[in-house]
Amino acid sequence: MIDPYYLQQLTIGISLGMVYALMAIGFTLIFGVLNVVNFAHGEVYTIGAFAGIMAIAAFGPPFLVIVFIVLAVGALAGFSLERVAFRPFRRFSDEASLKSRAMREATLMSSLAMSIIAREAMELLFGSEFQTIDIGYLINKPISLGPVTIVNGDIIIFVVSVLMLGGLQWLLKYSAIGLSIRAVSNNPLGAKYVGINTDRTIVLTFVIGSMMGALAGILVGLYYGAVFPSMGFIPGVKAFVAMVMGGLSSIPGAVIAALVLGVAESLSTTFVSSVWADMVAYLFLIVTLVFFPQGLFGARRERV
Amino acid sequence: MNVLEIANLSLRIGVQDILHDISLDVAEKGIYAILGANGVGKTSLMRCISGIYHPTGGEIRYEGKNIVGLKSHQIVDLGILQAPEGRQIFSNMSVLENLTIGGGPLKTAELDRVLGLFPKLKERLKQGAGSLSGGEQQMLCIGRALMRRPKVLLLDEPSLGLAPMLVRFIFDLVEEIRAQGYSILIVEQNAKAALRIADRAAVIEGGKIVMEGSAKELASDSRVADAYLGGHVAAH
Repeated sequence: MIDPYYLQQLTIGISLGMVYALMAIGFTLIFGVLNVVNFAHGEVYTIGAFAGIMAIAAFGPPFLVIVFIVLAVGALAGFSLERVAFRPFRRFSDEASLKSRAMREATLMSSLAMSIIAREAMELLFGSEFQTIDIGYLINKPISLGPVTIVNGDIIIFVVSVLMLGGLQWLLKYSAIGLSIRAVSNNPLGAKYVGINTDRTIVLTFVIGSMMGALAGILVGLYYGAVFPSMGFIPGVKAFVAMVMGGLSSIPGAVIAALVLGVAESLSTTFVSSVWADMVAYLFLIVTLVFFPQGLFGARRERV
Repeated sequence: MNVLEIANLSLRIGVQDILHDISLDVAEKGIYAILGANGVGKTSLMRCISGIYHPTGGEIRYEGKNIVGLKSHQIVDLGILQAPEGRQIFSNMSVLENLTIGGGPLKTAELDRVLGLFPKLKERLKQGAGSLSGGEQQMLCIGRALMRRPKVLLLDEPSLGLAPMLVRFIFDLVEEIRAQGYSILIVEQNAKAALRIADRAAVIEGGKIVMEGSAKELASDSRVADAYLGGHVAAH
């Protein structure tokens, strides 16, 4: 019989991994269509959490309403981010410029700048410490399953994430916008020749990715009861690691890597002090880069 | 009646003059061939028409309306479709997805028509497009453009890298789709085959049209024969 302690850590690890997965997908989608890393993705997560707790403080809506508010705010954040930090650098439309190095470097700086501006602005507005959240909204009520005690947040995070991931898979496979996103990721120039509005597709990719990131933010915020302006940094790094491990543009790869990362982190606290748990992600990153430079699931990746 | 008119078109990218004062007219239901060596600007001209490059001067008129400045997806919506150089298919997506993408809800009639032209694709609908042979990819590329029922079809080097038998198939196909009422602008290095099916043709050198006329005139012109036909006689 497995020690129930491990089962408990496993549950926490899966919740953690699901949240990383939601975030990693935002990175992966955007990397797919533009070949760039969106360094402001962590702040989208923070904005999602703040939007959620502000809605709670203002009018105490039911949980599902909060989810929709956060999704809407995330969508808006993604839209604005693309307009301000990415579109201005996309001036040419032949294949050499679409995924060019110059654009990659320019947007790296501009998204980092947006990230710093957003974080500092939130610190000025709200202060850098933990925000107070109505206890009734926290998703950490214990549930006993035999010898294992989990919290309702574990279930909520699992269900919400699975719904989002499933919805995304459906969207990418069967909807016109999903096909456009895949087409632009696969061959941006080809997408133009079949009449896909690539600018609109890119904005929508940011919107979808940011909705997932914002949702991850509020879920974690209510799970740990910790919402503060720099909360997005560490999960952002973890999600980035999951994306790299997953092979940069593979969504299933990113999700699996995120789950592995979450579980490994949570189990590692058994053996080392929890302050060291963050090191697990960096260790994974280094091992991946040294031994699997294509990522664990990115072996077939082609350069466009 | 000309469906596509290009008037005094020029293109400059950075400090480079790519195209200079290009004028040509594609007649309705006609085939217009553009000949020339590598790197003279043929593909750049095609990209200008599809809105990938934005010309620095001149006009491209489609049914009398200037389309310079429109975005590529707007030009596709007008009915100008291109089977571009390098095919630009979606290698990670299935053949069926390649054919149906960008065209709104799946139109079965269009699909049947295109698969009728390319029976080989029919056997491979579920297969990844990246696993097709070069010839099949070219068929997919042309089929993808035909799915939108274009009024003008632009073909950029459709025979490039294909075996002689497939080259013949492609050129026969071009004649067949012209008979169905499409207007076609084709860029080719295989001048002999192109002049055989075209009504009119132009030769581009260094970004300029150096010769223009009916395909018959050009085919019998000694300069064209020396520069562009000599090397290809053996191939056919």
